[in-house]
Amino acid sequence: MKLTRRHFLRAAAVAGLATPFTTRGADAGRKFRTALIGAGWWGKNILKEALASGRCQISALCDVDAMGLEIAAEQVSDLSGKQPKTYKDFRELLDKDRPEIVIIATPDHWHALQTIAVLKAGAHVFVEKPTGHTVNESRAMVKVARDAGRVVQVGLHRRVGPHHASAMKFLQSGAVGEIGMVRVFAHSAGGPEKPAPNSEPPDGMDWDFWCGPAPKRPFNSKLHPGGWRNFLDYANGQIGDWGVHWLDQVLWWNGGEYPRRVFSTAGRAIRGPAVLNAREQTTDAPDHQVAVFEFPKFTCVWENRQFASNDAEKHRIGAYFYGTKGILHIGWRDGWTFYPANKKEKPLHEDPQLQEPDGHNLKLLWANFLAAIEIRKPAAARLELAHRSSVLPMLAMISWRTGRSLQWNGAREEIIGDAEASKLLSRPYRAPWIYPAA
Amino acid sequence: MFKLLIVSCATISLLTTSIRADDWPHWRGPTRNGHSAEMAWLDQWPTDGPRVAWKAKVGLGFSTFVVAKGRVLTTGHADDKDTVFCFDADSGKVLWKHPYPAELGNKYFEGGTTGTPTIDDERVYQLSRWGDVFCLDATTGRVIWSKNLQKEIGVRIPDWGFSGAPLVHGNLLILNVGDAGMALDKTSGKIVWQSQNKEAGYSTPLPMGHGNETLVLLGSRQSYVAVDVLTGKEAWRHRWLTQYGVNAADPVVQGALVFICTGYGKGGAMLKTSAGQPQELWKTKVFRTQLNPAVLVDGHLYGVDGDTTSPASLKCLEFATGAEKWEHPNVGSGALITAGGRLIVLSGTGELMVAPASPAGFKPTARAQVLKGKCWTSPVLANGRIYCRSVPGEVVCLDVRKP
Repeated sequence: MKLTRRHFLRAAAVAGLATPFTTRGADAGRKFRTALIGAGWWGKNILKEALASGRCQISALCDVDAMGLEIAAEQVSDLSGKQPKTYKDFRELLDKDRPEIVIIATPDHWHALQTIAVLKAGAHVFVEKPTGHTVNESRAMVKVARDAGRVVQVGLHRRVGPHHASAMKFLQSGAVGEIGMVRVFAHSAGGPEKPAPNSEPPDGMDWDFWCGPAPKRPFNSKLHPGGWRNFLDYANGQIGDWGVHWLDQVLWWNGGEYPRRVFSTAGRAIRGPAVLNAREQTTDAPDHQVAVFEFPKFTCVWENRQFASNDAEKHRIGAYFYGTKGILHIGWRDGWTFYPANKKEKPLHEDPQLQEPDGHNLKLLWANFLAAIEIRKPAAARLELAHRSSVLPMLAMISWRTGRSLQWNGAREEIIGDAEASKLLSRPYRAPWIYPAA
Repeated sequence: MFKLLIVSCATISLLTTSIRADDWPHWRGPTRNGHSAEMAWLDQWPTDGPRVAWKAKVGLGFSTFVVAKGRVLTTGHADDKDTVFCFDADSGKVLWKHPYPAELGNKYFEGGTTGTPTIDDERVYQLSRWGDVFCLDATTGRVIWSKNLQKEIGVRIPDWGFSGAPLVHGNLLILNVGDAGMALDKTSGKIVWQSQNKEAGYSTPLPMGHGNETLVLLGSRQSYVAVDVLTGKEAWRHRWLTQYGVNAADPVVQGALVFICTGYGKGGAMLKTSAGQPQELWKTKVFRTQLNPAVLVDGHLYGVDGDTTSPASLKCLEFATGAEKWEHPNVGSGALITAGGRLIVLSGTGELMVAPASPAGFKPTARAQVLKGKCWTSPVLANGRIYCRSVPGEVVCLDVRKP
C-alpha cells in the first residue's frame, strides 16, 4: 500500500513540473491568485490563513448565498485592502478568474464536482473534509487529481497539529506497546428535536443551486446556515464530520491500511423520528452511532452521541489507543495523555497548540499546502490519504442503512458479495448534474 | 426617608416626560439608552463586594431585568419551558411565575430565553423566541391575552428566534418581528400594522423623535430600518450586512445621529438622518458590539468590542469622530450600563466593575466577582440595587444603597 502511494506522489511531482507556477518556488514575492468556493464560517477561516500567509491574493469568492458572499468580500477587503470579484456559479468563477489555488468549503455533497472542476481548470485545491459524500465520488476525485498533477490538500488539520504529531511519534516509538484496539469518539450535548417550519430561502439565496446534485428539500432554517451536517442528503452526520478527523488519526498510525470488515448501528433514540413534509422538518442524521472497523491486526470502534453530555467520562472527544504498555488518549483541547499500565508510573501529558477561537491548526496546514505546491513536498493531508479516512464513515453509513456488516476489498475499493450495498457506493444525482466517473 | 424619595421620584415620572424614577421598567432603562438617573449609590465596595440582598435561580437564558413598583422580572428556560419570574425587589421572594412550553433552541450556544420582558404600568409583555406574545397582569401574572404569531400568521422566525424586547408606545406594542417590525394593540393583541414576512434582526425597537413624528429603529436581517411608529411606514433603510443576519445591538441615538454597530468583524457607522436617507459620517472597524449596545456618556461611546468567541475588550470611542480613546482588554462578552457619570460593567465571566466614564481611561473604583461562569447579560441598577445574572440562570441582587 505504501509503495502505491509513493508511486502516486512521484507521478504527481513529475506532472507538476510542467505547470507554470510550480517551477517558480523560489520566487517568494509572488502571490497566488486564490479563490474561495463556499464563503461560510469555515471557508472564511481558511481564507484568513491564505491571506495571513502573505503568499496569496484573494481574487474571487463564490457562494450561492448573496448575503454571505457580500459579507465575505467585505472581510477580504478589510484584511487586504483589495476587493475580490464575486460569483454565484463556481463554473463562471473558474472560467473568468483563472485562479491558481481554489479553496472549497461547501457542504459535502458539492466537494467532488467542484474539486474535479477546479482540477480540470488547472488550479491547486484545498478542499474541506470529508472528500466526498459517497465512496465513488471520492474515488473519482482521486483519479482526476492523479491525472491533473495538481496538489490537493484536504482540511484534515490534525495531520499537522503539534500535539497530534508528537502523539504519533510517541505511538510509533513503541511506548504504548502492542496495540490491540482503538476507540474513536465524539460526544456532545443535545436532546429531543421538534420540527421547524419550512420557509422561503433568505433573500438572495439560490436554494436550488445550494442543493445542486443532491435531493432538493424544502428550505428550512435548520439547514442553513450551518445545520446541513445533520441532514443525510448533504452530509453523513457526526461520523462524517468528527469521525473523519479521528479515523484519520488511526489511518495515520497504521500507514493507511483499510479495514477488511465494517459494521455500524445507529438511531434517533432521543431526537425522535425524522420529519419531512411540505410544512416542516427535522434533521434526519442519527443522534448516536457505533461503527466497528475490523483491521487485520486490531479493531477500531467509533462512537458518537449527541445527548447525555457531562463530565462522567474523562474525555468527550478523541482517540484511545489501547496498548500493552498503557492507554494513549489523543484529544482536542485536552491535548494528549498517556496512562501507563504500570501503576507506579505517572501519566504523561502534552498540551495542545491550537488557533483559537475555533481550536484548529489551519495556519500549519496552509503552510504545508504552499510547500507542497512550491517545493513539491508531499502534502500532509493529501487527497489519497484523506480519501481513505473519508471512505470509512461512508462505509459505516452503508452498513447502517443495509443492516449488515460489509466485507471490504481495500485493494480494489469494492464491497465483496453484496450487490445492494455496493449500489450505495454511489447515488443518483439530481439533473442536470452528472455523477463523476471513478 | 429613602423610601419617601423613591415615591416622590415615581410620582414625578408619571407626571412629566423627563423620567427621573429609579425604576428600570424596560430594556435599557427609563431612557432606553442604558442610562440610570440614579446618583446616590455605592461605587466603592468592601473587598468581598457589595452586600448580597438575595439570590435566585431562573434557568438558562440571557434575559436581563426589568424593575418597577417593587417588582423585578426576568426569564429563564428549564425542562422544555420558558418561565417569566416576578420577584419582590426587597426580599427576592417569587411573587408569581408564568411558564410556557418552549424549545431550548441551542443552535451554536446554550439556548434558553434571549429577550427581556417589558413592564407597562400594571401590565407585563413578553415575546418568546418562537413567536409567543403574552400580556400578563403585573400583580398576579394572570394571562390577559396571548397569541403565537408563528402559528397565527406564519411569521418567519429568524435563526436564533425573536430576541428584541417589546416596546410600548401609546396603545401600541411594537415588536421586532418581520422585515421592519410589527405593531399590536396592547390591550387586545390585535395586529395594527405589520411588515413583509422576512427575517427580523435581534435588536429591541427603539423610538426616536423626528420632527413631530416618532420613528422606531429596528435591526433587520440585512439593514437597520426606521419606520413610523403609528403606521409602520418606512422612513429610511440603511443596508447593513452582518454575518448570519445578526443585527442585534440597538442603535445609539443622539438627536438625528444614529450610531449602528454589530459584531462578527463588521464594525460601526455613524449615520446622519436629518435629511431623510441616512448619510454615513464615519465608520469604524475597531468597535464591534455583537450582542449588547454601547452607552453614550458626554460625547463618548463605551462598549464591548468583539464576539463571544473572542477575548473581547471594553473600548471608548469619541462619538463625533469614531476615534478610539482606550481599550481595556479581556472583558469578555459582558455588558454595561451607566449611572451618575460612572460605568457599571459585568464582565463575560461575572466580574462586576464600577469606573468613572472617562475618555482618559478605565480605572475601576470597585470590582467584585459576583457570579460564576458565563455572563452575557447587561446588569441593571434600580433603586439602589444592582441585578446580575449568569447564562445558567444564577441571579444576584446586590445592595448598593448609601446607608
